[in-house]
Amino acid sequence: MSQTLDPRAAAHVSEVAVSVELQTPGMTINLGPQHPSTHGVLRLVAELDGERVVNVEPVIGYMHRGYEKLSEVRTYPQITALVNRIDWVSGFANEIPLMVAVERLMEIEVPARAQAIRLILTELARISNHLVFLSSYPLELGASTPLMHALREREHVLELIEGVTGGRFHPNFNRIGGVKPAAGGGSTQKKLAQDLPQGFLSETAAAMDRMLAICDDMDTLVTGNEIFQARTKGVAVVPPDLALAYGVSGPNLRASGVAFDLREHEDYLPYDKYEFDVVTGENGDCFDRYQVRLEEVRQAARIVSQAIADVPSGPLQAKVPRVIKVPKGETYVRAENPKGEMGYYIVSDGGRIPYRLKIRSASFSNLSILPWALKGLLVPDIIALLGSLDFVLGDVDR
Amino acid sequence: MRSGISVTTNPPEESETPSEVSTEAEAAEVSGFPDATALAERVAELAGADSWSADFGNAKVRIDQSRWVEAITDVRDGAGLHFFSFLSAVDWSNEVAVGEPLEETVEERYEILVRLSSARNNDAVTLSTDISKTDPRLPTLVGVFGGANWHEREASEMFGIEFEGHPNLSNLYLTDEFEGHPLRKSYPLLSREIKPWPGMVDVEDMPSTENTEGAAAAAVDASETEDES
Repeated sequence: MSQTLDPRAAAHVSEVAVSVELQTPGMTINLGPQHPSTHGVLRLVAELDGERVVNVEPVIGYMHRGYEKLSEVRTYPQITALVNRIDWVSGFANEIPLMVAVERLMEIEVPARAQAIRLILTELARISNHLVFLSSYPLELGASTPLMHALREREHVLELIEGVTGGRFHPNFNRIGGVKPAAGGGSTQKKLAQDLPQGFLSETAAAMDRMLAICDDMDTLVTGNEIFQARTKGVAVVPPDLALAYGVSGPNLRASGVAFDLREHEDYLPYDKYEFDVVTGENGDCFDRYQVRLEEVRQAARIVSQAIADVPSGPLQAKVPRVIKVPKGETYVRAENPKGEMGYYIVSDGGRIPYRLKIRSASFSNLSILPWALKGLLVPDIIALLGSLDFVLGDVDR
Repeated sequence: MRSGISVTTNPPEESETPSEVSTEAEAAEVSGFPDATALAERVAELAGADSWSADFGNAKVRIDQSRWVEAITDVRDGAGLHFFSFLSAVDWSNEVAVGEPLEETVEERYEILVRLSSARNNDAVTLSTDISKTDPRLPTLVGVFGGANWHEREASEMFGIEFEGHPNLSNLYLTDEFEGHPLRKSYPLLSREIKPWPGMVDVEDMPSTENTEGAAAAAVDASETEDES
């Protein structure tokens, strides 16, 4: 770390000292792969000039599990269990685009009730994901109190997800043509009253009130905090055209002022039945990325509140063939996941196994902007930017 | 609070909803996919390509390898598809070391896929080109989309494709010493070579599939079947 100080710089408090200081020799530091702020195992090789970042080379791949290769030896229903683990902070949401892609290729119409349950759980996953962000991001910038508050509230959401699916992180709850009968429920087609656990709707309603309250708490605790603003406002601005060219999506894209939300444009789930706002930022800095996610928690709670007010009745699963065979063809289905655009490009040869399954994950593209975005930042701003991108390495490496 | 919240009114740039092709639209309605015919046609014209398809809502335009970079630039600017979704490849191979082989013989090749989409509406298109297996190379797209950088590195290490002009085509996921290109169909899945996967039981034909659904199906695990029938 310590460069030997030029004795002249120490001796003279003059312009000479300044110019000497500016000529600091380049230094390369290694951030990670084991570092709390890297959200997993990400390594950054940063070339520094003093406190300034000259160049950064992100090194990824520590979490590479080869899911695309593994998918080539698995049947479509079996792949569901894999894709849960891509972005483990919002496991449920990962399943949706794959299910929708297979269902559309097979021309299966998913019953309205299953769709509504999918939508509710997807939005709960979004809240859970964003609460992890809202807890960890201030922590990385030095505030430890919000962590406790946000994670406490997230626990309520995880309990709701667990109540329906039986799993907190990896629900593996979707089936081609609908959803699994809930824990403690009956078979797929019968006992409709039991598919959501008793009291789920009222508990969810109460939890959504808590979500709105924690958002207000975060506003008073974090948003207006002067140190937090000083660390994030105007830091690491990502311009919208660059964000698009790099495939940055989700809240990161909207923070740059692009009002693009796949929930509005794609009908993979019946979002058109509910009212919500697409939240955008103005400057595309770290503060906007924080603010957009905070507001998205409110919007997600708004969607869930509307959805639980009117859950359609009916079966949980469409009639599907006993052996899932997907017709020959190719398609791509994408969804607005908590971290951005997640999609699956399926190449099917008409069999039970995909010939090729390309997994498009949000964090991979979001992170690919790092070498550009980090250039010229100060060392502490590396952490501010990393945290604000809200990535998970499982989602990067797949 | 800052009023950074806006309700998007989603301005439709052009009238791309194809109302004139009613039969196509009805067919698309059944499958649940949006109709992509009009978009595919328009993009094919922009790209100067004569081969396109719009099956399963996937507007796919085949570009000749020689026009790869300029065609994609034209599509980006002409159709307003500024969002770079992904770049990847498909190994079309008649002999496979993993998974199931193709039913029909195909021309052996790598197919490069690029997915672009609009940031205003649900326009999205897949652009593809075929490159030979003996000398897989293609000009890089880094100059058109910055995001192509990592995607090309991934395709390069996984399929062994050379992207000419790429600034740094080193391995992204795999170690530098790694030999082979794992997503090629000729690359075996070693753990499966050593031990057959227990999950394969689901892939093999069940005794009663397809033809005799009734009595035999009821005997099998009820949770896996549609037990109403």
